[in-house]
Amino acid sequence: MSTIKRYMRLYRVLIAQFFKSILQSKVDFFMGLLGFFCTQIFGIVFLFLVFQQIPDLNGWTLEQLIFIYGFAQIPRGIDHLLTDNIWMVAWWYVVNGEFDRYMLRPMNVLFQVISEKLQPDAVGELLVGTILTVYSISRGVVVVDGTHVILFMISVLAGALIYTSVKLFFASIAFWVKISGPFLQTAYQMSDFAKYPTEIYAKGIRFIITWVIPFAFVAYLPARYFLISGSSASVIGVECIIAVGFWCIAYALFQKGISIYESAGN
Amino acid sequence: MRKMLKIYAPFSINEIKRQLAYKGAFYLWILVNIFGSFISYYLWMAVYGSAETGVLGGMTRNEMVVYVFMAYVTGSMVNISISKTVSDDIVKGTVSMNLIKPIDYRMSLIARAVGDMVYQFLLPGIFIWIGLEIYRVQVLGEQIVSITTILWYLISVVMSFLIYVLFDFCFGMIAFFTTYIFGMTMAKNAILSFLTGQLIPLSFFPEGVQKVFDFLPFSSMIYTPVMIYLGKYTGSELVFVLLRQAVWVLILYAAGSLIWRKVTTRLVVLGG
Repeated sequence: MSTIKRYMRLYRVLIAQFFKSILQSKVDFFMGLLGFFCTQIFGIVFLFLVFQQIPDLNGWTLEQLIFIYGFAQIPRGIDHLLTDNIWMVAWWYVVNGEFDRYMLRPMNVLFQVISEKLQPDAVGELLVGTILTVYSISRGVVVVDGTHVILFMISVLAGALIYTSVKLFFASIAFWVKISGPFLQTAYQMSDFAKYPTEIYAKGIRFIITWVIPFAFVAYLPARYFLISGSSASVIGVECIIAVGFWCIAYALFQKGISIYESAGN
Repeated sequence: MRKMLKIYAPFSINEIKRQLAYKGAFYLWILVNIFGSFISYYLWMAVYGSAETGVLGGMTRNEMVVYVFMAYVTGSMVNISISKTVSDDIVKGTVSMNLIKPIDYRMSLIARAVGDMVYQFLLPGIFIWIGLEIYRVQVLGEQIVSITTILWYLISVVMSFLIYVLFDFCFGMIAFFTTYIFGMTMAKNAILSFLTGQLIPLSFFPEGVQKVFDFLPFSSMIYTPVMIYLGKYTGSELVFVLLRQAVWVLILYAAGSLIWRKVTTRLVVLGG
């Protein structure tokens, strides 16, 4: 218990430092926010333009697709906000030897990596996600009741954990290959597939994004539960199991990686 | 002209060599980039599957397949970003080194971008292009594209490339005002992918919006060459769109020179 308390306090201190640095460069903050906001919002404009021509897409209405799209942004944004520094492990810290300093301090290594940075750019994604989700709720396409609201929150958190696990897993490869950024980028980009109903893809792609890099469980599959009343809640359960399972694998790989880490330089 | 070539060709050649040095990462980048095209491909297939008519936004299903992948091939040759170099040079102050050398800074950047373009054309551009043509003939049962169309397309692509690079040069100079170019670049890429027609053919927009696009340089970057490739422009229309591209090259060239002269007169670089 006291360990948790200690880490909570440390996190507060570290994040407070980070906020000070944001306040120094407000323009940068808005630029980053705008960048991610634009990237995501144009996907919706695309859908909107396409729906001028067709009544529905494989049986999905525009409002339903907007919900799936928006719902996909929320776990992505949460993960992006909290654990963005993992990217630096993949691209920079290991090859450069900067990882040394994490090994020297008497704290959990992963905690140090994550708590070093909050990524304000993620607010752009969270904004898009929230706006679209609220819009689709107001249009009445989403089932809203006690269980759904609770499961919604659980699903969002489990989804964020899946994102984090995928990132941690591919970043950890850097301990063996020094720079794993391109691998991580490839895996991360797979999440774009999950913004749309996965039935539209070929079997192979569907299999990969459901079971190999399980982004379908972050967005489309749980979103379907919130859209169709009476469908089984078990998908959220499976999502949680996958999230925890992937997390264990990723964290084990990270630990193994730390144990073989050698510093760069002389 | 001979002299120009002698001065600036090494920039292009060096860029090709540099790219060849990082092949591993590069192949993965191709994979990442092509994901987007495949997502669009499957989306469009679903869209045409759900549509009541065979023609959407003036395109048949087969034309849309060509559009999606040729937009990718065109984009890989045209979207060569130099704004990162410009902004890096400005932020770090190394731009001062370029000001004292007896070469034109912008020309040297364009020369490097040409090297990039040639490389992108060879890898992966030409392979996807050939793959697409094979698919078109074998699976879709259509005629292979004619040599004249390819010729017009390539002329158009070269101008698209110049429009993009000259525009990007102006964009890079934003670094004189803000140092966090990453966010700006993301926003720029998102907006451009939309306005250039990379994401969706511009014919899907409402007519009023299309009229506006006619007066912007962006449709000349991707949409025009791909539509030429699809054989959508003939006769005087073809001449008109090519001329419009040429005009944009001139306008953006002039704009770049003007801004560059303005900002460099008040440039202060500290340190040595």
